[in-house]
Amino acid sequence: MIADPLKTQATSKMMDMQLREVAPASAHHEFVLEVNNFNVDYGVGENMVRAVNDVTLKLRRSQVLGVAGESGSGKSTLVYAMTRLLRAPGVISGGDVTLNITNDGDSDEVTPINLVTASEKELRQIRWSHVSIVLQSALNALNPVLRVGREFHEVLKTHRRELTKSQRHARSVELLKMVGLNEDRLARFPHELSGGQRQRIMIALALALDPELVIMDEPTTALDVVTQREIINELNELRSRYGFALIFITHDLSLLIELADEIVVMYAGAIIERAGASELYEAPRHPYTLGLINSFPPMHGDRRELTGIPGSPPDLAELPEGCSFAPRCPYAMARCLHEAPALLNIGDSDRSVACWLHTGDSSVTVPVELSRSSSPSRAHVTVLQDHT
Amino acid sequence: MSEITTTPAQLSVRHLTRHFTTRVPGRLLHAKRVVRAVDDASLDLVRGQVTAVVGESGSGKSVLARMLARIIAPTSGELILEGTTIPAGAKRTLEYASKVQLVLQDPYASTNPVHRIRHSLERPLLIHGAKKHDVEDLAKAALSRVSLDPPERFLDRYPHELSGGQLQRVSIARALCVKPDVLLADEPISMLDVSVRLGILNLLKGLCDNEHLAVLYITHDIASARYLADEIIVMYAGQIVERSRGTALVDEPTHPYTQLLIASVPDPSDPTSQASQSDEHSSYAVPEVGCRFAPRCPFVMDVCRTTDPPVFQVGEGHTSRCWLYADRPEAVVEMALPERRREGETTKT
Ligand SMILES: Nc1ncnc2c1ncn2[C@@H]1O[C@H](COP(=O)(O)OP(=O)(O)O)[C@@H](O)[C@H]1O
Ligand SMILES: Nc1ncnc2c1ncn2[C@@H]1O[C@H](COP(=O)(O)OP(=O)(O)O)[C@@H](O)[C@H]1O
Ligand code: SF4
Ligand SMILES: [Mg+2]
Ligand SMILES: [Mg+2]
Repeated sequence: MIADPLKTQATSKMMDMQLREVAPASAHHEFVLEVNNFNVDYGVGENMVRAVNDVTLKLRRSQVLGVAGESGSGKSTLVYAMTRLLRAPGVISGGDVTLNITNDGDSDEVTPINLVTASEKELRQIRWSHVSIVLQSALNALNPVLRVGREFHEVLKTHRRELTKSQRHARSVELLKMVGLNEDRLARFPHELSGGQRQRIMIALALALDPELVIMDEPTTALDVVTQREIINELNELRSRYGFALIFITHDLSLLIELADEIVVMYAGAIIERAGASELYEAPRHPYTLGLINSFPPMHGDRRELTGIPGSPPDLAELPEGCSFAPRCPYAMARCLHEAPALLNIGDSDRSVACWLHTGDSSVTVPVELSRSSSPSRAHVTVLQDHT
Repeated sequence: MSEITTTPAQLSVRHLTRHFTTRVPGRLLHAKRVVRAVDDASLDLVRGQVTAVVGESGSGKSVLARMLARIIAPTSGELILEGTTIPAGAKRTLEYASKVQLVLQDPYASTNPVHRIRHSLERPLLIHGAKKHDVEDLAKAALSRVSLDPPERFLDRYPHELSGGQLQRVSIARALCVKPDVLLADEPISMLDVSVRLGILNLLKGLCDNEHLAVLYITHDIASARYLADEIIVMYAGQIVERSRGTALVDEPTHPYTQLLIASVPDPSDPTSQASQSDEHSSYAVPEVGCRFAPRCPFVMDVCRTTDPPVFQVGEGHTSRCWLYADRPEAVVEMALPERRREGETTKT
């Protein structure tokens, strides 16, 4: 029958190990995605707003990167621009994005693709096969007049020309089963399915060609928590089976802390903090991150009043001078009001923050709630489990 | 009727029920199904208290709130405002509307985009009989009550010039300006940014504590219900399945659905908590007879599939609609309504 194009868990693990042993010095092998000083604007001239501001990030193979931030912070713009799905008036105005794709049949070798300069033809070859996206609203992403089965056939027909019609059907059934859906769903139209079922179908489609990177933009935001939990569990299982790297975007920081290896927090288009998931939760460094964590009422313990974050999220067209969080920041100092802090590593740790409290200036006293130490990392435990 | 109790309810409902009959698409013309949107709901909204209703989408929360606001009529059951039963079939009066106000989920949809904030506030005031030369001051006072200060700065703005959180405050201000005793808030924070949600929750709490409003807070977020509520009610498929005073229901959930709901909430302080159910539950039909949760319930027993569970007392001020608690028959609080025969109808799927 059809050769399963999905890597088995064993080979993807072996690949990881080989890559580290054979070429430890080459960053290309270690990271599936590298984004450097990336800028995205909407509009031009005096009406221009910068929706993504100097974003730099790296994603290791098989890891989960969480992108947290409130609406309007630039999360969707970032991933749309990265994958060149951005529409006018959005324009990429600087930086580069490199996807290191593995070559079929030879997992040792990777080819770096510059996504910013890639041609439409190159992009077509990369999408679905190497990187795929699941959008927030599956209802909008699925064609309303096509039965679900047709969506699978189209993707498989374009990218797996060698498959016959019955092989495509068999593969579609297999993909549905993978996300816990019965094959009779293939005959349904999108509106005949629940939100959770549509989102599972989008995930199955995203995995159809065994990409090494999957990007999910708020895939569970519109679902209720029980359905969200089912999908997250499913996703964790699929990840440990197929080893794809995942960028997961959400405003729900508590969900990310559970799901991600590393988290970046965005505010007004910029990354303001980056850390391992448990470090970020147990020992936040940026006042906005701390405020976000304290904005989720706890499920146990005494009830006490929480204050959230004063003020409103910023308007990109009227960003303040200096730190964009300063107008809402309880710790703002004189300097914060006219100089923008850069995203810098904290001491010699591998986490970073954009905040004047943490630049090592001895005249600044860091408040105790922003200098807690974190317990032995849960993130590392997760990583170890992934590779055993 | 309730004058004798220590804390009289401002608004009570008894056995409130609303069914919708809809055509089944794609079937014979005669194929109809009954959606039991709300079945046999009883609750009391008391001044100075927040009652939270929690449930997934489609569980009947909005239909319940709209019946309480008398925007839709119940199929059966009664509403009691300040001890007076409202006659079945009576029209919603202006007086009722001034005492019971509803705030909706989407603040952009509930304000008119072409009118200034001033208009949104002054119109209901004029309808409710305020004098023309007073309305500006009343509107400003309402904005101050929801911490939109100074109010002059907001009166002449348009909805799109405010953030979601500010606009939700305006909708609450509009509900408050007719001086209601009861505020019904239907998912007031679910469309707002995380960082401004607590501000709205604290505002509701303040209205309740300082101005003694009776507040109904509807949500799908059980953590926010725990944060705010004096009583928590969990709905599933149109029925109240569990309720408790205080936080007992979250701390010690008894109904299998509440347990599943709580286990599903992402909880960073407890990384081991993870519900294990991973089938696509959404395709389960709600059964016509027996417990509505039975198809999804990990503890399901034979009786569950044949007989609607009654409501059992499981703790002080804590009840659960589940056969697992039938070992103490004296604990039955309320028998389920007798199963009704429905001819020519198919179940909700
Ligand atoms: N088509 C557009 N034209 C102009 N501005 C836009 C457009 N799309 C998004 N923006 C602006 O870009 C910013 C980031 O938006 P988005 O990436 O959608 O944020 P997020 O996904 O974090 O909610 C927002 O402030 C938004 O107003
Ligand atoms: N006007 C209507 N006609 C038919 N069915 C309705 C109508 N309004 C609500 N329903 C149904 O009643 C049930 C409860 O709906 P709703 O109260 O809106 O749920 P919730 O607010 O908890 O998400 C749903 O199954 C919904 O489809
Ligand atoms: S009554 Fe039975 S089916 Fe219903 S929740 Fe309880 S144990 Fe489960
Ligand atoms: Mg977005
Ligand atoms: Mg609703």
